[in-house]
Amino acid sequence: MSEGKTDSDEEEAAIGLRKIIHVDMDAFFASVEQRDHPELRGKPVAVGGSSGRGVVAAASYEARKFGVRSAMPSVTAKRKCPDLIFVKHRFEVYREVSNQIREIFLHYTPHVEPLSLDEAYLDVTEDIRGIGSATRIAELIRTAIREQTQLTASAGVSYNKFLAKLASDQNKPDGICVIRPGQGAAFVQSLPVRRFHGIGPKGAEKMARLGIETGADLAAKDADYLRQHFGSFGDYLYRAARGIDLRAVRANRIRKSIGGERTFSDDISDTDALRDTLERIIAIVWDRIAEKDARGRTVTLKLKYTDFQLTTRARSLPQPVADRQTFARLAREILEDELPLPMPIRLMGLTLSNLEREDDAEEERPRDDAQLSLL
Amino acid sequence: MKATIERAKLLRCLSHVQSVVERRNTIPILSNVLIEASADGLVKIMATDLDLQVVESLEAASVEDAGSITVSAHLLFDIARKLPDGTQVSLETADNRMVVKAGRARFQLPTLPRDDFPVIVEGDLPTSFEIPAELLAELIDRTRFAISTEETRYYLNGIFFHVADDDKPVLKAAATDGHRLARFTIDRPAGAEGMPDVIVPRKAVAELRKLLEESMDGNVQIDLSPSKIRFTLGGEGGVVLTSKLIDGTFPDYSRVIPTGNDKLLKVDPKSFFAGVDRVATIATEKTRAVKMGLDTDKVTLSVTSPDNGNAAEEVPADYRAEAMEIGFNANYLKDILAQIDSDTVELHLADAGAPTLIRKDESSPALYVLMPMRV
Repeated sequence: MSEGKTDSDEEEAAIGLRKIIHVDMDAFFASVEQRDHPELRGKPVAVGGSSGRGVVAAASYEARKFGVRSAMPSVTAKRKCPDLIFVKHRFEVYREVSNQIREIFLHYTPHVEPLSLDEAYLDVTEDIRGIGSATRIAELIRTAIREQTQLTASAGVSYNKFLAKLASDQNKPDGICVIRPGQGAAFVQSLPVRRFHGIGPKGAEKMARLGIETGADLAAKDADYLRQHFGSFGDYLYRAARGIDLRAVRANRIRKSIGGERTFSDDISDTDALRDTLERIIAIVWDRIAEKDARGRTVTLKLKYTDFQLTTRARSLPQPVADRQTFARLAREILEDELPLPMPIRLMGLTLSNLEREDDAEEERPRDDAQLSLL
Repeated sequence: MKATIERAKLLRCLSHVQSVVERRNTIPILSNVLIEASADGLVKIMATDLDLQVVESLEAASVEDAGSITVSAHLLFDIARKLPDGTQVSLETADNRMVVKAGRARFQLPTLPRDDFPVIVEGDLPTSFEIPAELLAELIDRTRFAISTEETRYYLNGIFFHVADDDKPVLKAAATDGHRLARFTIDRPAGAEGMPDVIVPRKAVAELRKLLEESMDGNVQIDLSPSKIRFTLGGEGGVVLTSKLIDGTFPDYSRVIPTGNDKLLKVDPKSFFAGVDRVATIATEKTRAVKMGLDTDKVTLSVTSPDNGNAAEEVPADYRAEAMEIGFNANYLKDILAQIDSDTVELHLADAGAPTLIRKDESSPALYVLMPMRV
């Protein structure tokens, strides 16, 4: 006879109650620049190119007050904040700092999943330093980061990745937030949906049309409804609205591709506008590629037409794309081949895939990798 | 609605359906079971999680008023558990409450309207066939351990069923998590020809297996379409489990089943299991690999841990091929060995980096493939 346990209980029990920390550096690139250039402190700073096609890679908190955001065209940023100081990025320096904070994380747990140079998930369920509490570990990490890098970080502590990430965002900058077991669903439901990872301005707009403003509104919809309106993303939303996330922290996560896309407020059909848009996306995506130091062989252009039909066109090189020129050239070639477009588009995206990481060779292979894969 | 049911019957039925109900639900109606009493003396009890529903029928001692209502599944189950054995339980709706009376105990439970209870729309289920319950149970036991729990590859979160024409028409069930694969083959039941490929989700498999435990005699009727599957089990009144199928494509797993592995190791699965289990004692989570050194008619199992020292054990075996070394995840190996109910198990090996085929013998319906670890 069954003992009244549901399968999902078993599932959770199998994973056990976890302790996950999400650490996120505050305005990372901009803060590094302000640290190294005292004259920039207290001033609105944007990292990125100020020229016509440049985009903001990161903005200091002073700049954010004016509405300057990362991935914003530099021209727009300058308009919002005329005193904005543009600084050229120094990815080698950021990478160095990133390695420093990685060392700090690894002192407390081997289970570190970096998401980018400035943020990572840590699984500290196994308390290898015997500190006794995940919150305490998060505070020790924040202190160590401040002492060793003169930079601040925010941390979220919870029992899964989704909640930890929301929590780290809660009291930014230089803050910490803890979501304890049992509080996850309530916390999520009090938030505007825009805060959920994966819901952008467009997604939020669509939800607003459906009367979904907050996590609670989302939680009131059943899985079928969400699937009907959001496709496979609906399943994610269904879980997210309940604060559920069973994903493990993966120390050896291997990126398959890197890219970015933009949905436009007005559909684009004009050829020049298409070319301009492509240049902007090239700038955004190349920044990401440079930041991650990714080497990939395939460039893919993604276009979504006004009738929501999606096309992707790819071009590969025998060797990895080595520089911005090559990347831009491939992207432009693909677009030119598609012109003229049969109808206006609502979204354009670029990805670089077939990645090989430059630091693969020197990095010691994590033990998990020892298990060979069947599929 | 007013019905009187023998406590043991009610308890058994609730124990079957309540495990479908998730412990934590933000949609209140999903915490409830639907109770439907009809004038002919049958009472149907139904539970759902939107992806999976179970309906069980039982014979009431009497039905005074036909009708239906929903109440908390776990509450009613806990009440039924604590009622004295042999009592008659009366369920009666009054206003928007349900009154439960048994012996001298009396409960008033809140209810939700029957019409709010979500029922899975089965649609057309054009493929119908029967499988002996005992065989279906074995099929599940032999494959379910390999089901992936990783949600990113959701299409591996279940057992894949498909028909094929090998030497004879067969129905195959396969599960894999990308590291190991389990496959069970049976003769194709009449009616299964032309069946679409389906992936039955893990929770449905688990619930079905629990239900099978109590009705091992007789056949299970299976009806399915590309999106839904229904299992009808005998037993008193009968139980019907309906589940949505995983909407995805199971990878072509047949290509990872090795066919040319020419090094054959035959060993007693029980002593082999015990040996693996013993040497793995010192394996820490990080290094759970166990190394197998194969030499003429013996296997040397060994584990080396940087923290815990090392262990070795020699197991007598039947082996004539050239000496080799290969490593496996001890738990994966044990999972598979535990499936072999025989005095010998065959391991067909190629080399330390290639998939290994494991089976009882050539005629065994179950077949396993295990990917090694680098050691």
